[in-house]
Amino acid sequence: MKRWRRCLPAVVLVGLAAAAPLVLDPLGYPMRVLTLVFLFAAMGQAWNLLGGLANQVSLGHAAFFGIGAYTSTILLRDHGVTPWIGMLVGGAIAVVAAVALSIPTFRLRGHYFALATLAFGEVLRVVANSWTEVTGGPVGISVPFLGDDLAMFQFTSSVPYYYIMLAALVGVSVVFWRIKAGRLGYRLRALKENPEAAEVIGVDTYRAKLAAMLVSAFITALLGTLYAQLNYFFDPDTIFGLATVSVRMALVAIVGGLGSVWGPIAGAAFLIPVEEFANAFLTNQAAGVSQLFYSLLLIAVILLEPRGLVALGERARRLARREGRP
Amino acid sequence: MSEVVLRVTDLSRRFGGLEAVRRVSFDLRRGEILGLIGPNGAGKTTLFNLLVGLVRPSAGRISLEGRDVTGWPPHRVAAAGMTKTFQNVALFGEMSVLDNVLTGGLVRRSLKEARALAERVLARVGLDGIAGKRAADLSFPERSRVELARALCTEPRVLLLDEVMAALTPVEMNEVVDLIRSLRDEGLTLVVVEHHMRPIMSLCDRILALDFGEVIADGPPARIARDPAVVRAYLGKAHGEPAGPDAGAAAPR
Repeated sequence: MKRWRRCLPAVVLVGLAAAAPLVLDPLGYPMRVLTLVFLFAAMGQAWNLLGGLANQVSLGHAAFFGIGAYTSTILLRDHGVTPWIGMLVGGAIAVVAAVALSIPTFRLRGHYFALATLAFGEVLRVVANSWTEVTGGPVGISVPFLGDDLAMFQFTSSVPYYYIMLAALVGVSVVFWRIKAGRLGYRLRALKENPEAAEVIGVDTYRAKLAAMLVSAFITALLGTLYAQLNYFFDPDTIFGLATVSVRMALVAIVGGLGSVWGPIAGAAFLIPVEEFANAFLTNQAAGVSQLFYSLLLIAVILLEPRGLVALGERARRLARREGRP
Repeated sequence: MSEVVLRVTDLSRRFGGLEAVRRVSFDLRRGEILGLIGPNGAGKTTLFNLLVGLVRPSAGRISLEGRDVTGWPPHRVAAAGMTKTFQNVALFGEMSVLDNVLTGGLVRRSLKEARALAERVLARVGLDGIAGKRAADLSFPERSRVELARALCTEPRVLLLDEVMAALTPVEMNEVVDLIRSLRDEGLTLVVVEHHMRPIMSLCDRILALDFGEVIADGPPARIARDPAVVRAYLGKAHGEPAGPDAGAAAPR
């Protein structure tokens, strides 16, 4: 009973999101923005597994995102493999890459871990730019269009993509929530607060962080494939981009609220529309106005409540309840 | 005599030019309560950190229930049955009291079992009333008790307590002494570092005195309180040090 009540807001929200295409213009801008919100919320949620629960701040998740996008796209282009299979291959490669990245970097704490992951993402970006025979190099790569076909993960309408991104967000959120409430979640939260004390009471901190990293990398790669299928085109600087992917994933989770299942959802629902708005309406102004607007908003949120939008909402609700009492 | 649970042989640790722990050897038998005393900086906490694997020894061996655990990482030592509490209390502040204690139980148990065990342990140490509180919001004596509960929840065979009685009132101190005794009666083996001499003298079966990282005396409390080397180690210090070992002992002379 109590459990049901706690799930209720989530059920209502998913219901509303599922019903939205009935009233929205399928070719309209709001559909496009909502689709991106779901995708980036899911990416922030994947990042949240490691960055939020264990406080291992990665600035290199674009590496996994790009591995997913390139793997499925190259498999489709060169071998006709459906992206549904290609995304799993990409996920597997991302897991291998995550192990390779984790072994030397997990000993690093705080900023050093962030810097090492950042370098990893940048290295892959450079590789993708120069390995032209395979990746197409700096001009980018196109997903060959084969017509409306669920089996090949291609649709002419934007509606299926909307539902796929929504399903991805729900799926990743459920994974996050299950991990947080489970044994691994306890271990991660413990090592986040005090790694030495966690070790002394039996938490294998290295293994717990590695487990979170691998799940996070795998999911991020799957989302990379979704991104490729949604846009049909990408280039190394976008897909392996620091600002476009790595930092944005972290921002979505941080602005929303670290370590909470609602954090990345709130973060993406705020950041993506703001960004789109700034790009659409302020780019005609003097150079940099749109970025300035976006940055000022970010700074305002973080100053108002460093723990993020979810905490800000809770504070507002508590305040409203107090005001409401006579 | 009961079996040896913990055997420490020639354990040493050097930090640069400083030998924090030097050739320390002792045996611990099942059900024994060993007191570890010594002036500040004598190497008590470093010895604990060596035993649980937080610090790697420069030399020497640690054997727990016949298994050589030298150089093992702390989580493996905990799984093998030895853990400690921290002198400055190291709780997971954002987690509830129950969640803190429960995390200790995960080393051997499923989440469900660990939760049930944590509830039993909290009731036993008299903290069941604050199980839902955030650990960071507790008073210092409460925090130190939660840490004791968390360590107990790992179901250790050997438990190292680093000043769990600090900042306690005499009544609370007696409660902890009773608790430690009852744990021992159930077969737990304990090593206790404490600055309060009265409880340590009455509680411990045996006392190991350290100074400059070396064992300077090892024996029953009454003998340790009169040991010339121990008296010198304490009285030779400037004031501001804890009282000498016989300050609270039952009239050694």
